[in-house]
Amino acid sequence: MGFIEADNLRKQFDPPRGVIAVDGVSFAIEAGEIYSLLGPNGAGKTTVISILSCLLRPTEGDARVGGNSVVHQAAAVKSLIGMVPQDIALYMDLSARENLVFWGKMYGMVGAELNRRVDEVLELIDLKDRQRERVDKYSGGMKRRVNIGVALLHRPQALYLDEPTVGIDPQSRRAILDAILEFRNQGMTILYTTHYMAEAQELSDRIGIMDHGRMIAEGTHEELVRIVGEDAHVQLSVDRNLEALMNVWPTLDGVGTVSAENGKITLLVHDATSTLPYLFETAQREGARITEISVMEPNLEMVFLHLTGRALRD
Amino acid sequence: MRWICALIQKDLLQTYRDKLSLLFTFLLPVVFTMFFGFLFGGVEGSSLPVAVVNQDPSGGTAAQLLKILENSDVVMLVQYDAKEAERAVADNRVAAALIIPRGFSSNTSSQETTSVNIVRNPESSGGRTACSAVRQAVGRVNGGRLAAQTALAALFPGIDPTDDPQRWSRALNAANAAMAKPALSIDLQSSGARAGEIPRGFDMSSPGMLINWILFGLLGSAITMVIERQNGALRRLLTTRVRPWQIIAGKGGAMITMTLAQQVVLIGLGQFAFGVHYLRSPGALALTMITLSVMSAALGLMLATLLRSEAALIAALVIVSMVLAALGGAWFPLEVTGPTFAAIGHLSPAAWVLDALRAIILRGWSVGQILPYLGAAWGYTVVFLGIALWRFRFE
Repeated sequence: MGFIEADNLRKQFDPPRGVIAVDGVSFAIEAGEIYSLLGPNGAGKTTVISILSCLLRPTEGDARVGGNSVVHQAAAVKSLIGMVPQDIALYMDLSARENLVFWGKMYGMVGAELNRRVDEVLELIDLKDRQRERVDKYSGGMKRRVNIGVALLHRPQALYLDEPTVGIDPQSRRAILDAILEFRNQGMTILYTTHYMAEAQELSDRIGIMDHGRMIAEGTHEELVRIVGEDAHVQLSVDRNLEALMNVWPTLDGVGTVSAENGKITLLVHDATSTLPYLFETAQREGARITEISVMEPNLEMVFLHLTGRALRD
Repeated sequence: MRWICALIQKDLLQTYRDKLSLLFTFLLPVVFTMFFGFLFGGVEGSSLPVAVVNQDPSGGTAAQLLKILENSDVVMLVQYDAKEAERAVADNRVAAALIIPRGFSSNTSSQETTSVNIVRNPESSGGRTACSAVRQAVGRVNGGRLAAQTALAALFPGIDPTDDPQRWSRALNAANAAMAKPALSIDLQSSGARAGEIPRGFDMSSPGMLINWILFGLLGSAITMVIERQNGALRRLLTTRVRPWQIIAGKGGAMITMTLAQQVVLIGLGQFAFGVHYLRSPGALALTMITLSVMSAALGLMLATLLRSEAALIAALVIVSMVLAALGGAWFPLEVTGPTFAAIGHLSPAAWVLDALRAIILRGWSVGQILPYLGAAWGYTVVFLGIALWRFRFE
């Protein structure tokens, strides 16, 4: 039994004709696990996280956090979770400390306990030295850190992060990803939404891929990649003799299927490094020249492409 | 309650940080109160200056007439020569000019018909008021003479009362003394004015500008609410332990606190710096202040709920506050506009609160007397709040 369990969640806005944002989504996240919801914009990730935060009531289905229903036991659920929204949901004209103190009060903290915890969180997000500066004077990365810090104030057992690295510099992104791994190591359960494949791949113990409100695949990174097999995709263009090469290349060792579309050839190869020299050699032999080439190792992008026919970034 | 207090405290801190909001809340209302106070003031002060050209300086009747006028609360006599007096009226430096002609007193003593001359601007309400005060004084003089004449005619029928100057003088003095303490009197109250006084400039401008600028006091809190909705902070609050109704109460509470603070400053200034008698009925004043703050907060919540962007909210607040204030008589008294405009003006909630404030300032009305006005304001409050709650969105 997972710490977070979603059971056949469905959310339709303005029923009966409104948009179905989430359609029959089920998954479970074990305690201390990082689970990423990966999908393009509009896939339904934020709606799922909103339902799990008790911000939206599902049209059908239910979800449980620490055994509490998000529909019937919202107060208990809220005490267990910390929510980091995609937007910088802070007060820009207040300082980091003033923000943390205010949000701490909203979580029901008071007095010395509140001040102590604010100090700890400022230490954690590395803003102790600049705690009294107004948030609107901070860089994007510093704002994101305060945004995360707010969600940590009441020591939640689960942390939801909705695309927390959007629009920040690589250094700040690295710091945030490292912090999330550290939270997991401290035993926190993490639900992370992103449309960056690399983040999901690096962080996650398990990944759920969403598209058009549905969960289209779920598993560890390795399990998901296995859907498209172990082969790398090699895509290339030649200046002439396309048909001759289409006959030669399938006969080479290590080459699987070969297909051509719009003048581009796609090959599935077991080992791109050893196969590429043979491709160039045979092309030269047939009097052709390779003008463009790209290699894609099996990854989540390919999984998404394989399952939906579209690139993740679309 | 502690969640609501924390929300109020946070909103007030943000408003305090917003210097533009403070400018609209405190500084501009004071400047405009002074501007309109002096504008309404001029010849409309509590003692209207009246130029006196006395061409009968030694006459007893002239002296008696001037003495009555000097004791009047309505006019203040200023000596002028004939030419300068007319120019002073034309320039609005005085409300009117009273010219007592040569031989005025001797003519009255010989029972001949005589008159004083008044020069006034026919478009000036101050001129009309001064003219009325002079008429009243002339009436007093005439009344004394008639009483003495009638008494002597009754006691000595067939004899001319002025045949014996000593007897006439005694009878006239007795009649004038009796006229000073008449058995029957009129307690004259101008509409909307204190008994025996007419509204002064600041009596008009102070409550008017208070209501005009009270909505601007909401600017900071209302903008904060729109920004919170835009950046997701309102929605984020829902992931904490605070309940939705507590968030709305906190927002409304901040607006009420802000406008109450604004009222305390502006009313205090009106009372102690501009001499406006707000404290004539403290209970009624407190109730009116609370009504105005709650009504304004409801209106602010409604606007911040309905309008999605900061720019739209600022524009709406400016337009709504100006229209409601002007229509409600904050810029000029509805009494001078005629019955149709006054009736239309009372479609504005500001008119009802202003009626209550002016009744307190000028007549010292009690809580019970102003309740009908405040009842109308509470009616608007319920409508504004109802729309705000109905349409309230956290995102």
